[in-house]
Amino acid sequence: MSLVHIRRGRVGLAVAALAGTAVLLAACSGGGGGESTGSGAGGDLIVGTTDKITFIDPAGSYDNGSFAVMNQVYPFLFNSQYGTADVTPDIAESGEFTSPTEFTVKLKDGLTFANGHKLTSSDVKFSFDRQLKIADPNGPSSLLGNLASVEAPDDTTVVFTLKNGNDQTWEQILSSPAGPIVDEEVFSPDALTSDDDIVAGNAFGGQYVIDSYKINELISYKPNPDYKGALGAAENSSVTVKYYADSSNLKLDVAGGNIDVAFRSLSATDVDDLSKNDAVKVVDGPGGEIRYIVFNFDTMPFGAATSEADPAKSLAVRQAMADLVDRQALSEDVYKGTYTPLYSYVPQGLTGATEPLKELYGDGAGAPDLDKAKATLEAAGVSTPVTLNLQYNGDHYGPSSGDEYAAVKSQLEEGGLFTVNLAQTEWVQYSKDRTADVYPMYQLGWFPDYSDADNYLTPFFTADNFLVNHYDNSAVQELITAQASETDAAARQSDIEQIQELVAKDLSTLPLLQGTQVAVVGKDVDGAVLDGSFKFRYAPLHK
Amino acid sequence: MVTAVDAAAVVKPVAPQRGGLWRYILIRLVLIIPTVFILVTVVFLLMRVTGDPITAALGGKLPTDQLAERIHEAGYDRPLIVQYAEYIGGVFRGDFGNTITDGRPVVTILLQYGSATLELALYALIVAFVLGIPLGLLAAYRRDRWQDAALRIAAILGYATPIFFLGMVLKLIFSVGLGVLPASGRAGTRTELALQSLDGQTGIYLIDAIRLGRADAVGDVLWHAVLPALALGILTAGIFLRLVRTNVIGTLGSQYVTSARARGVGEYRLVTKHAYRPALIPIVTVIGLQIAVLLSGAVLTETTFEWKGIGFMLSEYLKARDFVAVQGIVVMIAVVVAVTNFIVDVVAALIDPRVRY
Repeated sequence: MSLVHIRRGRVGLAVAALAGTAVLLAACSGGGGGESTGSGAGGDLIVGTTDKITFIDPAGSYDNGSFAVMNQVYPFLFNSQYGTADVTPDIAESGEFTSPTEFTVKLKDGLTFANGHKLTSSDVKFSFDRQLKIADPNGPSSLLGNLASVEAPDDTTVVFTLKNGNDQTWEQILSSPAGPIVDEEVFSPDALTSDDDIVAGNAFGGQYVIDSYKINELISYKPNPDYKGALGAAENSSVTVKYYADSSNLKLDVAGGNIDVAFRSLSATDVDDLSKNDAVKVVDGPGGEIRYIVFNFDTMPFGAATSEADPAKSLAVRQAMADLVDRQALSEDVYKGTYTPLYSYVPQGLTGATEPLKELYGDGAGAPDLDKAKATLEAAGVSTPVTLNLQYNGDHYGPSSGDEYAAVKSQLEEGGLFTVNLAQTEWVQYSKDRTADVYPMYQLGWFPDYSDADNYLTPFFTADNFLVNHYDNSAVQELITAQASETDAAARQSDIEQIQELVAKDLSTLPLLQGTQVAVVGKDVDGAVLDGSFKFRYAPLHK
Repeated sequence: MVTAVDAAAVVKPVAPQRGGLWRYILIRLVLIIPTVFILVTVVFLLMRVTGDPITAALGGKLPTDQLAERIHEAGYDRPLIVQYAEYIGGVFRGDFGNTITDGRPVVTILLQYGSATLELALYALIVAFVLGIPLGLLAAYRRDRWQDAALRIAAILGYATPIFFLGMVLKLIFSVGLGVLPASGRAGTRTELALQSLDGQTGIYLIDAIRLGRADAVGDVLWHAVLPALALGILTAGIFLRLVRTNVIGTLGSQYVTSARARGVGEYRLVTKHAYRPALIPIVTVIGLQIAVLLSGAVLTETTFEWKGIGFMLSEYLKARDFVAVQGIVVMIAVVVAVTNFIVDVVAALIDPRVRY
């Protein structure tokens, strides 16, 4: 046998051995890498998501993906119990206004972080001070705009001094992305702390600790035995979160049983498809996201800065549009029920939410009414068809925006009252243009900072609102200011309801849809709670 | 028809000249520097065509004053030539800056995800060898018959089909339709967790799984690699098939094969024992060219199968308009391709001294 033959023989043998080993090992893997789930109290669960993490340092991120991690591992002074949007003390024993500008919190005794460090009022002061000091542009420090200072007179007492007294959103803010309490012995006081340092420092005091961490790939959580907050202990032995880039892969894995829970964000068609799959359950709940059209009061037809300025005609155009939009059709045809019709400014599920647009416009029951729209325009002396330049964005609010606005266009043009020029702009340019009076009417969406009606009113309907749409109603302004510091809950709710009534008459914006939270879970998985807090907690999940 | 490559394969090598080889290597080595320099410059300028990277990534997300502050802090309001000089200096120090969207050092991303892409490229090369070479030999052996025609058509389809399309088709058939192969990821979740807990991970899952000492983990890793490796490897397999076929047919016409045939050696033995070895030599050169193809193909394959390597990250950062990250990744890919081609040139020169001139 020649040397060449020997070499070739060895190579051939090696290739054959490799191939054989691969086949054998693949067979050992159970035919395709299917997941075997562990056992234990409540079981080990795998959650899949397409969300992305920016940083797990609460000062460095203000997005759903990062906040989802924070909700599991950091303690909050206030938090919402499962099933409600309203907040109550979490690691706090109590919290109340001890003077109009002082909110005093008493911590529970004996709190510790998972690394053994004591969790005292000093950590609480540290957490809020560093938020304000770092003020990272990607962080949530803007939510603390009303915070003047924090004091820690003893180990279990924290006093927040606020700029504006009786801030009724303060407890919500304590439960918001600005509110996680961090370990002052691990976190930097004036700079962001890296994810690796946080994980290595085991600086967690929430329901879970992070057992292993690979950003945007895989995170493994274990229940934190030291958590003494109001939400209680986890009902499972561990949770692993797998991060997907593509929702279709997420769908395939939940349908195939490779993961136990899929939460955020399956497409409408995937949810529709999965709802027919016997191997999984679709769980839904109210969503905080709203989608709406903004009217620029200066540049819309008959707007204040146009050559044919006429407030009455301008209002009639908005009202006729409100008469014609068919939210139910948008919900079902475009979003397969993953968004529901929205007839107000505060979404359903939050305290104070009403539905004034349902009665005021269309057929009075939520459906469109062409005759009413025609009558409204005629009464105001508006010649038809009115040309509407409607702008939307295709890359920020999901791929279905195009379908949504194509449907809105055809709904508005039905009956010949309007001619709609639909245009799309890329998000960066869109963001600049919308506040520069470029668009007479345009698409926007909103996801709340915290679960309170105020977060759907103050940013939109005050005179210096972030829409910069030149809407200014002094009665609305007064009510918004009043509700923010109204200590009587019933009176505050009444204020919130009145604001919705007034704005519904003015139609500063035209609400269309409210997002629905959807989780798809395996048939053997229970405990998925989707509520008005818009926080998806892993702790109640179990098999 | 005998191509230039075929001719190179069948001509007997001349005696190497030592001085010529070193001179050749030196020239090729020196040529890498301007090549990489030009690549870095072009990539830098392309990334600035649409403005500064901060505005591209965060424009519309931050208030104007904060955006301006970030631009100033990062130095993107300075003259382009100053930014360029700083960037080049950073590249030479191995500092590609920090990503804009998540603030991580680009070098960390290159190191962390490069191994995943390397692993996928190696799998794809194995697929290309395993499919391309035997089928190329078969096509040569059955030349001008229906088997040859079928294999040639298959090869053309293999390298003409867009990688993302092939990936989607494979996924639709084997994951969605038949449900026999995983649609995404480099391993199952529990395997990944086990690998994550391993000390001193290489990032090449197969090696890590073997070190873990668990057969199920090794199997799981290989099982997840099947579809991405096929999607990426079939293109190169088609090229290998055509190349091997052409060269074997060329070699079969050479004098020493004719002599062997005259001695009564059968056609099958001629192909498998006499003709295939010289026919493999040009593949060395082609592998060099294929590295660029594999790396560019990896972007599409990794995205389709969520194989979290450099290609996947490039796609993610492109979507986020994080041009600092994109710039670093593209430069790294360019450097890898340039260096690989240098190595291939040297190997080719060692095999065939005529290529030195």
